Formats: sequence, structure tokens, C-alpha cells
Amino acid sequence: MSTVMTAPANTPVWVDTARCKACDICVDACPAGVLSMQQEPTSTLGAMISVISPDACIGCSECELSCPDFAIYVAEKKEFKFAKLTDMSKARQEAIASNGYRLPTDYKEVN
Amino acid sequence: MAFNYDNYLRVKKMPTLWCWGCGDGVILKAFIRAIDKLKINKDDMCLVSGIGCSGRFSSYVDMNTVHTTHGRTIAFATGIKLANPDKHVVCVAGDGDALAIGGNHTIHGCRRNIDITFILINNFIYGLTNSQTSPTTPQGMWTVSQKAGNIDPTFDACELAEAAGASFVARETVNSPKKMEKIMVQALEHKGFSFVEINSNCHINLGRKNKMNSAMANLDWIDSITVSKKKYDAMTKEEQLNLLPTGVLKQDTEVREYCEMYEEIKKVHQGERAKITQDDFEKKI
Amino acid sequence: MSTREVVSSGNNLAARASVDAGCMFFGGYPLTPSSEVMHTISDLLPKVGGAAIQMEDEIAGVAAAIGAGMMGVRTLTATSGPGISLKAENLGLAQMCEVPLVVINVMRGGPSTGLPTRVSQGDVAQAKNPSHGDYKSITLCAGNLAECYTETVRAFNLADRFMQPVFVLLDETIGHMHAKAEIPTVEAVKAGIVPRKTFDGAPEDYRPYGVAQDEPAVLNPMYTGYRYHYTGLHHDAMGFPTEEIETCRKLIDRLFQKVEKYTDEIESNEEYMLDDADILIIGYGSASLAIKEAVNSLRSEGIKVGMFRPITLWPSPEKRMHELGKKFDTVLSVELNQGQYLEEVQRSMGRLDIHKLTKTNGRPFSPNDIIEKVKEL
Repeated sequence: MSTVMTAPANTPVWVDTARCKACDICVDACPAGVLSMQQEPTSTLGAMISVISPDACIGCSECELSCPDFAIYVAEKKEFKFAKLTDMSKARQEAIASNGYRLPTDYKEVN
Repeated sequence: MAFNYDNYLRVKKMPTLWCWGCGDGVILKAFIRAIDKLKINKDDMCLVSGIGCSGRFSSYVDMNTVHTTHGRTIAFATGIKLANPDKHVVCVAGDGDALAIGGNHTIHGCRRNIDITFILINNFIYGLTNSQTSPTTPQGMWTVSQKAGNIDPTFDACELAEAAGASFVARETVNSPKKMEKIMVQALEHKGFSFVEINSNCHINLGRKNKMNSAMANLDWIDSITVSKKKYDAMTKEEQLNLLPTGVLKQDTEVREYCEMYEEIKKVHQGERAKITQDDFEKKI
Repeated sequence: MSTREVVSSGNNLAARASVDAGCMFFGGYPLTPSSEVMHTISDLLPKVGGAAIQMEDEIAGVAAAIGAGMMGVRTLTATSGPGISLKAENLGLAQMCEVPLVVINVMRGGPSTGLPTRVSQGDVAQAKNPSHGDYKSITLCAGNLAECYTETVRAFNLADRFMQPVFVLLDETIGHMHAKAEIPTVEAVKAGIVPRKTFDGAPEDYRPYGVAQDEPAVLNPMYTGYRYHYTGLHHDAMGFPTEEIETCRKLIDRLFQKVEKYTDEIESNEEYMLDDADILIIGYGSASLAIKEAVNSLRSEGIKVGMFRPITLWPSPEKRMHELGKKFDTVLSVELNQGQYLEEVQRSMGRLDIHKLTKTNGRPFSPNDIIEKVKEL
């Protein structure tokens, strides 16, 4: 039996918000500023994971491997053409990580 | 990498009851990936767990599962394995379950070298019952049963396992999911008692009162107290103090596995071979 | 039933009975005076493809046995009083998880280290409630050498029928008694084996603990495609932990009702010379052998005594004892302890005026002990 799930089409990374407990680990693990926590009053810790920059995803899967709750998935390398890691992505990640794992509301992308 | 973990999970039980960021979930994930890699059939495996947060592991995997009394995981597993040696038996227990109340059974599971894969989830505290000292809680940390500071010394569980006779001993941490998965594959493939210690983060019960209030801070601390075996072996005794080596620490494929030896006992009683003597064992040395 | 004559000891007969009744696993630890059960079964089990293991302590011994029972085979542990004390928690688990298990207790002088090589019947109250929490006990007591065999066979069938641990109490005198005994043939035993119920429908329809309120769980062996969960926590129909109010209430009720509704399948007594008796003596185990001799001797002197011997101690034959309590003015309870079954006799008969003959110095009753006591009454 195949254990490979059929990914949503043309999606590098997707989340199951029913399972996410807003622990921040995936946001911390991402090198490319793809993910950010967002305010969600009805959820655990009042927050919820959000994929904010899917185009920046490099397919490293650190988020999927380090998520304790089976709440985030990354497409197979052969299913999706992932991006390369850019300085812009790194800078965004830096900003997210130092802002309580949330992208600052006034954030401007660095080219 | 879109892996269908749900194939191995009791999906109706999700989300897990573990705290946000708890390493138990990451270990569960690595375990599932390892099982899948080895193409082990869910029906051919029994997972036995103890009491504690790690004990809830058995609720989540879709296999034959047993949640035992505190500390007795390996004893139950020994009966389950010996009654049907052809099937896979995995034990999951925490540091309190396996090293305090269950210390004796851990020693003898290792000693018998029975073909069980034992995953010791060491989060350095009693998590489920809220922050009591465990045999691995670092000295000087705050625990609810030693609020003036923990004075209990600790010991290296892997060294205990090696000394007691486990033929595969390894340690990894929750910081390295891929390495964890690899070691679990090796442990499951190994024929004999495979002792795998996984250092995990309990930022809620250990971390919160010990300056590690987040999963990340707790994980960083685990990083700081673990080091690869290669680097560890090159250190001086002073440098090694309070550090735990990671990787495969021991693998002996020569030593005999218990159920295989018991098959010989059956042959003796069924008249198919002579009684087992010291010579049978001396030849192996 | 076809029988055969053997010369053996109580402990050895219990071991042989286990294997004949289909036991395929033993987990235990040496404890005087029960160790011979382990020694004998360690040779018998591997011969038939089963496994016996001496574990590192009493707790591990019963844990391994229960593990094998969960796997799906008939399983045994054997010990004495101190071992039952240690096994208490796991006996509770076996009861809660509804795992069939036979527990042989060869009773010795207690409490604590007591008198390791000498007799007592001091674990009768313990057998009723070995574990914390509510426990519905099924406890049989062998009263002669042959019953060491037949009661052990019966215990295995009862364990599978009611899906729980069943105690077989031997006292040390009976356990170490070595003489001739007439026991059923192996074929007769095998013909009488009634294995546990299993479910053979679709795995998605399987509810191991989702049974009627007077039924035991239906637990399929492991590795057969029916995946479920065992836990000592209160659990739902699939075995998963739950605290839901109704589920929890019904679970413990059912563990009791599954036995209480069918005590007629479990009750077993011996009545000796009761019809025209004036004095009733109640005893069990090795005490009953002395009682019988005493009854015969007293009768030859014209004193009309009779004996009632419960073979199933728990659940107790309360209805029958209640009837006897109405029929007999003078009732004497004889036991090698401080009066553990006496309390059950008093409760069943609704009387506090039951006479007692107790002995806790590690020596068996002689018929004279009982004759003298009866004459005092």
C-alpha cells in the first residue's frame, strides 16, 4: 500500500489547521520565511500556523519532520519544483523569528 | 515527501493529547517513517508502552497495542515476544517508567538480549504527573518534589544498557528527526535487545521552571548537552562530564538472541538435541 | 469420564494439569513452596512448543504471563502469598483488561516472610481482593491431591469463559503432598477444553469491549488483523482510554455482572454427611481432610457431625451457606488462618454466633484438633 499521500496540486507546503497546536517549532525550523504564526483567538495559544510565502519554499522538509502533530506536509521533490534559498527569504525568516514567530505587520521585503 | 502518516495512525485520536511542541510527537513521526521504510505490516507488530506521557504512544499507532502498568513495559513485552517470537515487539517508555520503577526490568531485558526494540523517551522529568524528579533530572534543577533544588545524581542510561548486555545501544535527540529515523531503522532491523534513548523536550514540566520556557529553548538545551560519539570519544574526562554521546554506541551482532536460544531449549525437550552445556557458550567467546 | 492413576505431588499435578489443559506459557519466579510448579512446567512446556520463563521478580513473572495472555495463549503464573502481594497491581490490570490468566497460590505461613516452608490458608481474603479498586474474584481451592489437577483444569476453562484471572489455592500441605491420585485422562481433559470466544467478522466491526452488560470482553489474539488497545485505564469499546461518565459506570458494573449473573457455572461444593447431622463444620483445602477424618471418628462415637466444603471460595456459595445456617444451630468454621472465611460464613448466614477453630503456627490440622473442638461445643 502506498504511503505517499496525493499532495494538493501545485502546492509545496500545506497545513492541517485542525491539528496544529501553534507550538512555533515549524516556523523556527524554516530557513526561508515561508511560515508565520497568526492570531487566531479560537485556537490553542490563540494562534494558528499560516503559509505566507509558499513560493519561497525550498522543499527542505524541516517543518514536516519537526512538527509533533502531523499538521504540516511538504510535497515530494518530484511533484513540485521548489525554489532556491535567497537572501530575501533568509531576511524574512530572521524578521519572523525575532518577532515571536510572526511576520511583522509592517514588514517590507528586502531585495 | 508527502508521506501519508495517517496510514499508521489512529486518525480518530488526533490531535494528540501531548502539549504543544512536545517531542513525543516528533518521535512518533520518526517511528512511523522507520516502520514504513522497513515495510513492516501493522498487523505483525505489537507496541507496548508504560505510564507517562510517552505511555500514550500506544494509543496513537494503529497496531496491536498495550498500555501497561508503571515500569513493567519490558516485562509484559517479554511475555508477548516469547509467546510469538516471529512478530515484532516495540516498547516505548519514559525515563521514570524505564529507569526508576522499571529499572530492574530494563536491566533484565538488556541482559536477556531478547529481540525487542526499546525506545526510551528521556525528557529528564516526570511529565504526566507534573514535574517530579526523575533519575535523569540534572542536579540543581527545580522540580516539584525538590523545590529547593534537585540533589539526586543522575546516570547514563545507555551505559547501563551496555553493561547489562543489550546488543544494540544508541542515542539520538528530537533535534535530529532524520538521524532518529535512521537509528530506529537500525534498531528495528537489529536482532537482539535494541536500546534507543531519545532525548526529548518537556518545556512545560521541566523547562518552564528551569529557564527553558519554550520548546525551542528546551531543544537548544538538549543540543548543548549532547554531542556525537565521535567527538565525545576524543574528549577528556572533564570535557565529557555532563555530556551525552549520540549515535550508535554499541552494536554486537554475534551475541545470541534470547528467543533463538529458547528454540534450542524446545529442541532439547523434544529430544532433537543434547542438553545445553557451558561448552555451547564457551565456543562463542 | 475416563481416569488414570498417577503418583505425584500437588504442585506437580497442577503443572501437568496446566499443560494438559492447553497452557502454552508460564511466567514466574521462585517462591517456596510453589517453586516445583515452575520447575515441572519448565520441562513440560517447551516439549509441547510452549514457553516458560523465570523472570527477574514476581511482578515481572505475572507481567510476562499476562503479556502472553494478551497475545492469545492460555497462560499461567505460580507463587505463594508474598508473590501475590507483589503481583497485586498487575492482577488488577488483568482484571481490568479482561485477560484470562490462571494464578496458582501455594499458601504458606504469613504475613510477611512468615513460615516459608509451612502451611497456612492465610491468603483467602487476599484472593478476594488482591488489587486496589473493585475486584470480582474467581478463586478455587483444591481440597485433595486429585483436585490439584482437576481444579487447575477447571481454572483454565473458567479463565477463558469469564476473561479474567482465576486463582487456584493450594495450601502447602496439599501442594507438597505426594501420593496416589485418580485424575482424568489427557483425552478427557482435552475434550473438555472450552477456549475463549473470538470474533470473526470484519475488523472494522470489531468492538472487543463493546459487549452486553453480562458478557466478558471478546479478545481476539494479536497479529490476526484485529487491532485494538489494552489499557488499565477505564476504556471504551475499542479499549481506548476514556473518562466518559456512562462508559466508566458500565465498565466496572460489567466486570462484576459478568461473573455474578453466572455463579452457577462457577460454584462447586462438597457436602459430607450433612443429611442427618446436628453440627456443621465448614472448611476447605487441607483442613477438610482432617475434618473428614474427624467427622468419621466423631460419628463412630455417636456425635452427628457433617462437613460443608466450598471448592469455589469466591464467589462464595452464600445462598447454600445461608440455607445451611437456617438448618444448623451449631456451626464451626475451621481454617488455618485467623478467620478469613469465617467472615464470609457469618455474612452469608446472617449470624455472628459461628464457632471458630483457627491455627496459624504453620502446622496442619490433625483430626484430633477438630474432635476436641467439637466436643467443647
